[in-house]
Amino acid sequence: MRGSHSEVIGGIFWGGVGIFFALGAVRLKLGTFHSPGPGFIPLGIALLLILFSLFTFAKGLISPAGQAGEIPWKRPALVIGGVFLYGLLITVVGFLPSTFILMFILFSLLITIKKRKWLYVVLCAAATALGAWLVFSVFLRVPFP
Amino acid sequence: MEFFYNVLNGFQITFQPINILYCFIGVFIGTLIGVLPGIGPSGTISILLPATFSLSPVSSIILLAGIYYGAMYGGSTTSILVNVPGEAASIVTCLDGYQMARQGRAGPALGIAAFGSFIAGTFSVIVLMFVSVPLAKFALVFGPPEYTSLIVLGVTILAYLAQKSLVKALMTASFGFLLSFVGLDTITGKARYTFGIPDLMDGVGVLPVVMGLFGVAEVLQNLDIPEGISVFKTRLGNLLPNRKDWKDSWKPITRGSILGFVIGVIPGGSAVLASFVSYATEKRCSKHPERFGHGAIEGVAGPESANNSAFGGGLVPLFGLGIPSSVVTALLFAALMIHGVQPGPFLIAEHPEVFWGLVASMYLGNILLLIINLPLIGLWVKVLKIPQWLLLPLILLFCIIGAYAINNSLFDVGIMMLFGIIGYLMNKFGYEAAPLALAFVLGPIFEKSMRQSLRLSGGDFSIFITRPLSAALLVMAGLVLLSYFFFKKQRGVLEGRGEAV
Repeated sequence: MRGSHSEVIGGIFWGGVGIFFALGAVRLKLGTFHSPGPGFIPLGIALLLILFSLFTFAKGLISPAGQAGEIPWKRPALVIGGVFLYGLLITVVGFLPSTFILMFILFSLLITIKKRKWLYVVLCAAATALGAWLVFSVFLRVPFP
Repeated sequence: MEFFYNVLNGFQITFQPINILYCFIGVFIGTLIGVLPGIGPSGTISILLPATFSLSPVSSIILLAGIYYGAMYGGSTTSILVNVPGEAASIVTCLDGYQMARQGRAGPALGIAAFGSFIAGTFSVIVLMFVSVPLAKFALVFGPPEYTSLIVLGVTILAYLAQKSLVKALMTASFGFLLSFVGLDTITGKARYTFGIPDLMDGVGVLPVVMGLFGVAEVLQNLDIPEGISVFKTRLGNLLPNRKDWKDSWKPITRGSILGFVIGVIPGGSAVLASFVSYATEKRCSKHPERFGHGAIEGVAGPESANNSAFGGGLVPLFGLGIPSSVVTALLFAALMIHGVQPGPFLIAEHPEVFWGLVASMYLGNILLLIINLPLIGLWVKVLKIPQWLLLPLILLFCIIGAYAINNSLFDVGIMMLFGIIGYLMNKFGYEAAPLALAFVLGPIFEKSMRQSLRLSGGDFSIFITRPLSAALLVMAGLVLLSYFFFKKQRGVLEGRGEAV
């Protein structure tokens, strides 16, 4: 990824966010200066955001292409995927089993290969799930689904 | 007399056994997460905030504040022993602290950091006590236009301090404001940006957003950092600084305490800034500036004092005006609101127990921290050896459970994960999360006071510049922006350090 490209993309992205909020604000009542409505301030801020993003966009276009590091996305994506899976699973099988599975996935994802003994990881995951259940469900009485 | 009565009353509240316990839990957890590089005080406070729903407001604030100033103590340990800052306010401590450790003087470095923090923490509490009440009276002249301008100033300063880019920081701040408008409009009751989703009617929650930006994003950030931290192998030996150390340090500690407090009071000023400014000041005041970077004890004593003192300073606008000036005070603000205590100029008068209880608990907390940090330093060194593969999943699990526990709803967990992803990407592309979070908390106050101002003036924007106090605040914001372009080069020094983190 080129440095200037990320600026250009950033400018487009934030500009899009700004336009989205600005359109939303216009559909709300803007009111008058004398009596500003619910869309008044959001429109103002959204316009500011669009202004800043234009600036970033322009700056990205004229600045020389710089080398920006590759974004490591594999592990983060796996972790995020794991958490969403967890959200689905917890409503079906309950807190203990799903937490165990999540912890098992995360531990085995992160542990270095030479230390990867499956029984050890399973035990750690089980202990974490049980500990979390005791503390949060039994002691702090969080009503898990 | 009333003053002494209040102080006494505060201590009475703090020395209830249950509050001593909460104070201890707070500073203990604070030291723990301060030592651990994986998570900082903002993430931790937002995770633990739901757990304090059932406590009284004062106990809750005592615990949450303890986490913050505890983290300030703990952060120095990691900086000195590992050369990795435990949290952002201890970045400069690495420079000389780690060098001291390499020269076999880790003990005195840790010692002076703890004593400096103690002195500065106590100093800032004392000043806070004397300043807040008069300020709250003064704050009554603050009308809606002044609040509007003050928030503009605060966000401008925070954006100015952003280590990467002012424009990017202004964009994230704007985004934070826009997000805060989601939900029912407080004045007309109209639903805004909710898309018919009932969970969005009350707006996006502060806690899932902060947990995502400062908890989950932090975990994602650390996933690809090579495993294992190498703790510097050294005999800690004597932790007590010797006479010469004290002689070298008392001035930096004094200056750091005062500087830290003043910077903490400035909206947008934070412990991080306080530590940087203190380091630069000490280097300038020193007769031997060449020793800095090679294990000068002044370079540890000053910044570590300043970052602790900044917290007391940060509480001044929170309790005097009801305006949080940093992400952490914004969380305390949120905690107060959740407990039905309205932050603002009337807080100290209406809920004296909260303010004076917190103040008194900070004396106690600073003493507890000295005890926790010096004799137990071996324990914290062991904590540093917890492997990443165990730590990161645990932090993530705490985030998930914490987000769920806010409303017992998976929706908040989803919001948190979303902001975790946003925070991760923002960091990778050189955006900072702090302006977003602060603007998000200030958004509703900003909107309300701006709309009220326009009503007052009958739609005339000149109300913001014809009222002297408001005009002064706006002029300051303008000067801050101007100075950004004048001092761009000098900022390079700080930027270089900041990006390494």
